[in-house]
Amino acid sequence: MIRRERFSGRGLAWLGAVALALGCGSDPASELESDAASDSGRAQNVGEAQTMLELIDDLVPLPTHWIAAEPVGEASGPVDDAMLRDPFADSSRWLHYAGDYRGARHSPIESLNPESVGRLQVAWSFPTGTQQQFEVSPVVYAGVMYVASSYNRLFALDARTGELLWRYDHPQPPELRACCGPVSRGVAIVGDSVLMATLDARLLAFDRRTGEILWNTEIIDYTRGYSATSVPLIVGERAIVGVAGGEFGIRGFFDAYDVTTGERLWRHYTIPAAGEPGVETWEGTSYETGGAPTWSQGAYDVETDTLFWTTGNPAPDFNGDLRGGDNLFSNALLAVDPATGERKWHFQFTPHDVWDLDGNTQLFLVDVEFEGQRVPAIAQANRNGYFYLLDRRDGRFLRATQYVEQMNWATIGPDGRPRINPEAWPQDEPTYRVCPGNMGGMNGAWTGSFDPKRGLAFIPVIEACQYFAKGLAIFSEGLPFLAGTPDTIDAAAGKAYGHVSAIDVRTGEIRWRARDRYPMMAGVVSTAGGVVFTGNLEGEALALDSSTGELLWSFRMGGGVRSQPIVFELDGRPYMALGSGSWATSDAFLAGLDKIPEGGHLFVFTLPER
Amino acid sequence: MIRLLGLVWLSASLGCPAPESPADVYARDPAAIARGRRLFVGTCGAYCHGLQPGHRDAPFLFDCEWKHGERDEDIFRVIQEGVAETRMPSFGDKMPEGDEDIWKLVAYLRTKSNCG
Repeated sequence: MIRRERFSGRGLAWLGAVALALGCGSDPASELESDAASDSGRAQNVGEAQTMLELIDDLVPLPTHWIAAEPVGEASGPVDDAMLRDPFADSSRWLHYAGDYRGARHSPIESLNPESVGRLQVAWSFPTGTQQQFEVSPVVYAGVMYVASSYNRLFALDARTGELLWRYDHPQPPELRACCGPVSRGVAIVGDSVLMATLDARLLAFDRRTGEILWNTEIIDYTRGYSATSVPLIVGERAIVGVAGGEFGIRGFFDAYDVTTGERLWRHYTIPAAGEPGVETWEGTSYETGGAPTWSQGAYDVETDTLFWTTGNPAPDFNGDLRGGDNLFSNALLAVDPATGERKWHFQFTPHDVWDLDGNTQLFLVDVEFEGQRVPAIAQANRNGYFYLLDRRDGRFLRATQYVEQMNWATIGPDGRPRINPEAWPQDEPTYRVCPGNMGGMNGAWTGSFDPKRGLAFIPVIEACQYFAKGLAIFSEGLPFLAGTPDTIDAAAGKAYGHVSAIDVRTGEIRWRARDRYPMMAGVVSTAGGVVFTGNLEGEALALDSSTGELLWSFRMGGGVRSQPIVFELDGRPYMALGSGSWATSDAFLAGLDKIPEGGHLFVFTLPER
Repeated sequence: MIRLLGLVWLSASLGCPAPESPADVYARDPAAIARGRRLFVGTCGAYCHGLQPGHRDAPFLFDCEWKHGERDEDIFRVIQEGVAETRMPSFGDKMPEGDEDIWKLVAYLRTKSNCG
């Protein structure tokens, strides 16, 4: 039972007036049927019907917010810090975008295993009613699933049945500055709130039980080139959230907000201002429009109280001629104090990037043997095609190994710094095929997982090399600022493909690859039972054997998969949730695949009762 | 302005060819075409208009179909002033070499297009 907000009888009155004005004394639907059946004057009548529908569409003020009439999910109480620190203590929950603070997206659920997954069947499904890519990683708590779709629709659903409990459609202003689709990857949960960042660069808190808005804070004026697509990370009383806008010449930053009031507590700029350390790595005043966005979620080390966040490309993307230098702190990993936002250390993956190789891929906090010692490390499959291992105490470079099959833009020196292949620099008239392309490798728009028992990271990978054309960029605040473009030659030639790769975090070796006809652009979750779930651009949900990569199960959902799967248990039954629905433009750009219709649809699978 | 229009009319009535636009002149200058291309690739084509047809929000500009006038002067005006109620901004005061850069862009668009 839900209650609609901002819906009044005024709309019905207008509808009635329109019907009378058009002489529609009878039911409009019957009128349409009657018109369609008549050959004479058919075109005129159809035209009238369309006009009427357009008028109705204009005049009825559709609701944008449906509040739950009765609170939902109350019995479990607020989400507290202990739950967030140990999120899998109760397998009925999925609380973090990345599964836990260590970014593993690995569930202790044993019942989803190579023997059982072949029996998975659809428990329920739910439409988002929106187009373009559906990238959500749902949150599940107290039997309620919180799902955000493209364009920032937010749904609270009964996790057992899919029944809609409350809903919010964010009213988007005109001219959003979303470089890469109207993406929302979901919500964070804390206390009795769920938090969603929006495409117009706001952060909203909702009462998780009713859907009522608790606070609504502007992160920044979106018309300056900003948007917010990622899920905030909750650390104590703070919600940490970053921004997108690397293609608009923004000055990147990430913020901490008080989860109770929405008040901003600190802002960490990813590009230094004049006079600050690091500004000398920017030629002239190029730091003023230097980009370095923070558009994916970081990780948190509970033991050392350290927040890790990543940054994206310097701007303009494809021509570095006027921003000579390393361009700190673009394409970097930053370790900061979550209480103050002060930086502890940094490591830059791709200095002076001119290929759009954002450093914003997922972080895994791992403890590994390295040169005979147990090291608290941080691992990342970077978009530049290398799998990095760093000491997370100080950012010391330990190792980088190639995880893509095709690599020619650079090798990595013993200091961790790329040694650039001079042929790979963008050209006015490019003729050199650069690998990987600007989307990676892995891309921060989707997730991997880490299985600590097997020591394997499961990484979805794009293999799509490109030409890089270089041009002159004219900066205008709030407008694209790229100075070039990738030419997706592999996609155009039907040569782009993908795989999920299992990488041994201890050695960097590839244990197996599960290949797919198109680039892999969905997220991953793995289970202690030994299964890796993901999806492909042709619309299949997939289950792979964690040890071998063998395909165990698939289900045709229809729309290309761009979302992040999760698993949970309710009443002793395991569930896997995965969204279907991609963006044809990006699929065509990257994969040469443009025939599959758009439209978000969430599928939830379970095992049949025995 | 009236005298200029009169001159154009007189030229036309005498069967003289229409006067060249600056884009016509730049179209014969490889360096100008190269600069127009660099501006297009870096500012116009990278995100909005594209270098190849299809899959873009903004119009493809090499198919000889012009929404706001097909003369060189029309294309120049659109780049200079932008188009109201669209995402096409004004570049009138942003080009490093001012109007000359806009004419070079027009020249590049003309030479790259194949209008049969």
